[in-house]
Amino acid sequence: MTDDVVRRKRAPNATMLAGGAIVLIVGFIALFAPHLLHVDPNLQDLASTSVPPAFVTGGNAHHLLGTDHLGRDMLARILFGSRIAVIVGLSVVLIGGTIGVSLGLLAGYAGGWVDDAIGRIVDVQLAFPFILLAVALVAVLGSSVTTVIAVLGVTSWVQYVRVVRAETKSLRERDFITAAKATGATNLRIVVKHIVPNITSVVIVLATFEVARAIILESALSFLGLGVPQAIPSWGAMLADGRQFLDTAWWIGTFPGIAIMLTVLGVNIFGDGLRDYVDPR
Amino acid sequence: MRLRPVVFGIALTVATLGSSAAPLRAADPVVTISQGVDADTLSPIRTTNTPTFNVVGNIYDYLAVPEGPDKNTPALAVSWKRISPLVVEYKLRQNVKFSNGDPFTSDDVRFTVEKIKDPAYRSTQTTYVREIVKIETPDPYTVRFFTATPQATLAGIRRAVYIVDAKYWRAHDDKYLEDHPIGTGPYMLKSWKRDEAVELEANPTYWGKAPQVKHVVFKPIPDAAARVAALRTNESDIITNVPPQYVSTLVGGRNTQMASAKSVRLLYIAFNTIQQGPQQNKLVRQALNYALDVPSIVKNVLGGRAYPVPSVIPSNFFGFDEHAVGYTHDLAKAKALLAKAGYPDGKGIDFVINTPDGRYNRDKETAEAVAGQLAQVGVHATVKTNEWANYTAEIAKKHIGPLYLLGWGVPNYDPDGVVTGILTSDAPNSAWSDADFDKTVFAARAELDPVKRKALYAKAQAIAHEEAPWLFLFQFEDLYATSKRIAWQPRGDEYIYAKDISLRS
Amino acid sequence: MIAVLIRRLLGSLTVLAGVAAVVFAILHLTGDPAAVMLPPDATHEETIAFRHALGFDRPLIVQFGSYALGLAHGDLGDSLRHAKPALGLVLERLPATLALAVFALVVLLVVAIPAGIISAIAPNSPIDWVVRIFALVGQSAPTYWIGLMLILIFGVALGWLPVSGIGGLSHLIMPGITLGLFSAAKVMRLTRAAMLEILGSDYLRTAYAKGLSVPRVILGHGLRNAYIPIVTTVGVEFGTLLSGAIITENIFAWPGIGRLAVQAVAERDFPVVEAVVLVTATIFVIINALVDLSYTALDPRIRYE
Repeated sequence: MTDDVVRRKRAPNATMLAGGAIVLIVGFIALFAPHLLHVDPNLQDLASTSVPPAFVTGGNAHHLLGTDHLGRDMLARILFGSRIAVIVGLSVVLIGGTIGVSLGLLAGYAGGWVDDAIGRIVDVQLAFPFILLAVALVAVLGSSVTTVIAVLGVTSWVQYVRVVRAETKSLRERDFITAAKATGATNLRIVVKHIVPNITSVVIVLATFEVARAIILESALSFLGLGVPQAIPSWGAMLADGRQFLDTAWWIGTFPGIAIMLTVLGVNIFGDGLRDYVDPR
Repeated sequence: MRLRPVVFGIALTVATLGSSAAPLRAADPVVTISQGVDADTLSPIRTTNTPTFNVVGNIYDYLAVPEGPDKNTPALAVSWKRISPLVVEYKLRQNVKFSNGDPFTSDDVRFTVEKIKDPAYRSTQTTYVREIVKIETPDPYTVRFFTATPQATLAGIRRAVYIVDAKYWRAHDDKYLEDHPIGTGPYMLKSWKRDEAVELEANPTYWGKAPQVKHVVFKPIPDAAARVAALRTNESDIITNVPPQYVSTLVGGRNTQMASAKSVRLLYIAFNTIQQGPQQNKLVRQALNYALDVPSIVKNVLGGRAYPVPSVIPSNFFGFDEHAVGYTHDLAKAKALLAKAGYPDGKGIDFVINTPDGRYNRDKETAEAVAGQLAQVGVHATVKTNEWANYTAEIAKKHIGPLYLLGWGVPNYDPDGVVTGILTSDAPNSAWSDADFDKTVFAARAELDPVKRKALYAKAQAIAHEEAPWLFLFQFEDLYATSKRIAWQPRGDEYIYAKDISLRS
Repeated sequence: MIAVLIRRLLGSLTVLAGVAAVVFAILHLTGDPAAVMLPPDATHEETIAFRHALGFDRPLIVQFGSYALGLAHGDLGDSLRHAKPALGLVLERLPATLALAVFALVVLLVVAIPAGIISAIAPNSPIDWVVRIFALVGQSAPTYWIGLMLILIFGVALGWLPVSGIGGLSHLIMPGITLGLFSAAKVMRLTRAAMLEILGSDYLRTAYAKGLSVPRVILGHGLRNAYIPIVTTVGVEFGTLLSGAIITENIFAWPGIGRLAVQAVAERDFPVVEAVVLVTATIFVIINALVDLSYTALDPRIRYE
């Protein structure tokens, strides 16, 4: 291999486009939610609770997706809920990714005792039950979006360390790195110029999966009563609430469930496509 | 690490997976009761949580069982009387035996109270017997409780305690006694697998009427939706804490029915008047009460399964003022009061309503509905959920505010435990203080004449109405569901006595 | 080889010591058991007295010292709630959780890996699409949602399977699937990706060119090379299954350590939480060591440095 950065100009594949489209739509909704529907997602109407969606008997056109158990408009809550999904998904990836990639590079490139020490920290984190960390952080910080991001962020970095470390380790032995070393390049320069570009694709793919994981776990935290505060509509909290109404008002849990599933699906498909695109083998 | 027992355990688990453990139903019916959690312990004098009491309450007996305002059914005691303002004397039931054959005497009563008070035993029931300063046992069937100050509540016992076998307890160490209960009650322990099942069987030497159901199993199921499913699939016969939205499904079920009782438990939202803020202004507190439409919350959030309360004392308690008129839904009045207080249209008010999530039926949803109603008079309020252990600790430190939702139930139908638990200045869960209120309720505690005592509580309720330390909400209706093969009327104090269950043929 | 084993063992002990220290620190951040254990009407004085009886009024460093000392002797202390040795309470429930995790793992091995392989052999075939869609849906549905849907469908509506508790094999099916689905979806995707990569590699083409039969190439060469990423993931996933059992155990009233952990955390039963975490971590460490050793067994080219 002569060129040390693997770059192939190719047409994006269909799955990547489809996934990307879903991701873009969710992003668009999150950005423009207040302009898409002029309904306050927290406005309650105890006189019309659990109204079915418009397309079901008993539903009406005022509430296209019906109302929840406190008479709030489901459509408005779904639209606004996308904001939490996007904020949580992106911040968690940013925090986890930054910590994870840095430590992964350090471990893989430096090797020796540094690698050992980081490896031990990773093992401690992996061996530690997630739930306990969640409860502890919620107890100390109080429940808020920031807390949810912190909880998910500090549990997601290990994935990056493992992958980046392995990639860096194998890259370190390659000819072009040896060549760069021979020309007297500093370690920092080698890492930034030669290693980082080569692990970017792997990290991006991993990041897309971690976005999906963050959205799912946000919901699991709500199930355990540790999610985002009630004033902020979040799909996870809505889904967790809706589980109690599966028999009587299926739409309360089903629509946020579909929203989560579609978003995660979109992100995952995008990630799959991206992998095929950057790493076509 | 001891790996051997684990490996053995897996083998055992896998081995039992093959065999089916379905209980014999037709010939010798087993009634299965599912609460959210398992008993902590089978020592009846260590812990204070209701699910544990529900199990041990079938194995042990009280001296007397609280049934209503100033009404107690004799159990291990047959009669009691106040022989001086500071002394209550109990006459004990004779010829009662523990299930191991030991006779029940006054020594057991004395031992029980002393064991609870022993710091080395680390019982959390010390609060229950805190007023008792001395015990006398003049003969095997007489016990005298001494208190330092006059206590109007029964016997100076803040809450009843289950009586253990002194001889048996002296002969065994505390750890053994955690899961080897011997009581005088209608049932005996057959087996206990933690988090899986407590199996009880009828005690043949029980002093009272023999229960109709001979075999009872307590099988905990944490998730409410899963509990409902277990009842619908006949895996359980009684389930507790049914969320109101399941009522219609269960009433219409082929084999399911609802059972309910008016609870001793109040739900309210307290103002923290120690923290700086608009809630320190009485007019704001009153205005917010007028802004609430409690009946609408009851109807729409609790499916009609609750009772608005006009007062700080539950309506089925001693001393409840029948003439008390609570706050009514009056938006105009609310707005006028807000304007008078200097917050026209709620401007300048931004409240946080704190609530636990899932501790009480529809707690979080109630807080959300309240926030929604406050918005109608322009008061901005957001709901914040809190993790329970942290919440109680922070409330005790008076750090939670400006509003916090709490439920309060005292199973003896006496208001003293209510007001001194959540309202007086020194109450652990109060963040409000009023000298006049304090004076009145402490006088009521020491007032032994029921008529005068009642008048004092009426005065206290009037003060609380005027000062509005809370957003007044409601008293729960406890919701249970049962299979149709049994008949059972739940109690308002959240206790489940299996001897009350009868089978339909 | 012995030197390697000793190094490995020391490494594992370091990890466990780290876990023990972290759990202690985190627990003490969450506050104090006295407040939540006493009834809510306990007075300030009663709380102080109780805290003293439990020893939580000692300086933190002293508490840590006695905790560490106990650990060194294999003594994790008594549960505050149950007044029984914490380690015993955990070990008593471990078999139930292991049974669940092993069932889920078997599903993983028997269903997910073959499905991933088949899907990779015939990319874009109908089977491949079914597998891919299943994998995506499985990864985007929260555990508790799947559990409740299974209960409603197979328990309540059809009446085929019991919805709660432990008992016959039938009790294991729904919680096992609920627990395993997320991991199965992940492993399925990973197997497919790893197989695709190897099937496209030059040396498999050489193998074909040499005239080897298709199954022999796939199983003999392909799978062997895909083994390492798959086994690594399965090893990590087993850890996830163990600690991920928390939600599943709650929904299906399964008497395992996950439920114990949730309750112990909620009640601030510190010794029990510490015991659960350390037992889980120990298992995790053992499994990872086994995974590492299996690399050497299957692929002699891998040696420890």
